Amino acid sequence: MKKDILFTVPSYFRDDMNIMGYRFGKGEKSCVVLGALRGDEVQQLYVCARLVSFLREVERDGGIMPGKSVMVVPTAVGLSMNAGSRLWAPENTDINRCFPGDLNGSTTERIAGALFEKLKAYKYGVQLTSFYQKGSFVPHVRMMETGRQNPELGCEFGLPYVYVRTPRISDQTTLNYCWQQADTQAYSLYAGKTQEIDEAAADQTLRAIVRFLNGRGVIRSEQTPGQTASVITNEDILTVTSKASGLLRRVKHAGAHVRRGEQLAFIINPLDGSVREVLKTPATGMLFFIQDGPFVTEHSPVFQVLSN
Amino acid sequence: MAVFKEVTSVASILMPIGENWTVSRCRYRSNDGAPGRLCIATGIHGDERMGQLIVYDVAQRIQKEPHHLHGTVDVYPMLNPLGLDLNERTVPSGNRLDMNRAFPGSPVGTALESICYHLIEDMKGADLALDIHSSSQVTSELYAVRLHEKTADMMIPGAAALCPELMWVVPDKAAYNASLTGALTQEGVRAAVLMVDERRMDTQRTADQVVDGIFCKMKAMGLWSGETVTAPAADQIPCMREQTDACRITCTRPGMYVPVERIGTHVSAGDVLGTIIDALHGDPLENVTASESGLVFSQRRYSAVYPGTLIARLCRKERA
Repeated sequence: MKKDILFTVPSYFRDDMNIMGYRFGKGEKSCVVLGALRGDEVQQLYVCARLVSFLREVERDGGIMPGKSVMVVPTAVGLSMNAGSRLWAPENTDINRCFPGDLNGSTTERIAGALFEKLKAYKYGVQLTSFYQKGSFVPHVRMMETGRQNPELGCEFGLPYVYVRTPRISDQTTLNYCWQQADTQAYSLYAGKTQEIDEAAADQTLRAIVRFLNGRGVIRSEQTPGQTASVITNEDILTVTSKASGLLRRVKHAGAHVRRGEQLAFIINPLDGSVREVLKTPATGMLFFIQDGPFVTEHSPVFQVLSN
Repeated sequence: MAVFKEVTSVASILMPIGENWTVSRCRYRSNDGAPGRLCIATGIHGDERMGQLIVYDVAQRIQKEPHHLHGTVDVYPMLNPLGLDLNERTVPSGNRLDMNRAFPGSPVGTALESICYHLIEDMKGADLALDIHSSSQVTSELYAVRLHEKTADMMIPGAAALCPELMWVVPDKAAYNASLTGALTQEGVRAAVLMVDERRMDTQRTADQVVDGIFCKMKAMGLWSGETVTAPAADQIPCMREQTDACRITCTRPGMYVPVERIGTHVSAGDVLGTIIDALHGDPLENVTASESGLVFSQRRYSAVYPGTLIARLCRKERA
């Protein structure tokens, strides 16, 4: 294992922030795995830390394939993580809205630019990311529809779903989108929680990455069989949106199979306990996403149902 | 002749505990049936408050001289009231999203997307939409009009009526297209950002400068028949049409930046814009200098900096 400093942000009264890359093997830049791009992506950091530990053992046992290399970048925002800030603390900006970055730009743009220069050299890019809403997903692989996406390869992670999503305008400055523009096959993995460690989801995500690396011939290691993946799009997802606001009491959780009309959650008046709304599923299927905060406003997408 | 005045909620979201997040609009409409319509929005970023005073002053002048209004003026004084309370740029719920990256929104999206969607729907059909922003707390800026690349040729001559100290054409890229003015431009509405520094000089004086420009523009649009200031000719206002017309000066060392006040002045290559100091060791670290000559239209205030922090922007073009 080689430890590379990918970029350094010198600081005034704090220690310099080094973005570290853990590199295994030599030769073709086969795959890079990136963890936290935001200061609260703890689960993403944790999965990467375990992946580094795992790959160290694989390398010790001669399991990195000749002529292949893989790099893991656990976090690009250590300074924000230490300060407890989701955004890049010095400039209050989201690095994942600054790609492809600018080496002569602001601090945020320089971080994005320097990272992108290193990351775009890889054939496959895997980002462990979080959703812009607080909640839990069924673990899945996600990519944007740019005309360059390759969902078939995404199936090699062995997660149950590969979600190809139509990008919005604001998505064009994300790492996943820019990676694809630079001809890196880009995959975003949703690893359950964000701000806390979810061991089961971390295990599942780690196994998926190991499966992908084996499948792509980058490493040779023990692996568990994956699931046959279904490729899904926006059209397969139905959103259950709240009409009321209040406390959210869920009776179903991510991954649950539900039948049309089944109760999913109650929205309760936070002051008198009366039920303001009963959320029901509009279709039979599986709960793909649930919002997991205690409060809900009107017009919140509380559930996403993957319709049968 | 009295002016028709009506306060309406254009978008509203029920919050969990006894509160609505409401975007309100106050409409001032003349009784003469004149068709023109100007929209003025402020407060997308909760820590930017200059727009409040500006739309108040606009409303005051209309109400004092209602017979001079010929058409409709819609003001949307605060789009992000939660952010205002917390002095926070983003929408302080969920994952703290920047509202000015959530347009055009969606009728079936999140609360934020729904608000954005209904706002765009309400502003459609306007002859001009102005989105007033304030400079960040660590930046001093000249009063500037920012225009979208797609509409720049059409809008630059008329934008001079807003009496800005500078005009800046923003490239047609993703981040801008997800802003209020970007989304309105996509809908065919002529839209511009007014960038106003609420800390550079006396607050009321700054507001007066912008309000004078707004009435001057209203007169040019036929919305106002009262006295206004005389607008400068478009070719007398520094205008940056290309990205190369602006020059960025950044620092290379982390520390505290102590500025030499240069905003609004012309500098030559080598002129000092400030010093980066190290208070721990008591040493100066870096003299930040202008790399070329130009008009300083943006300069950082006394604050902590990192390598790459923007210290100043220079305008290379002295005229449009």
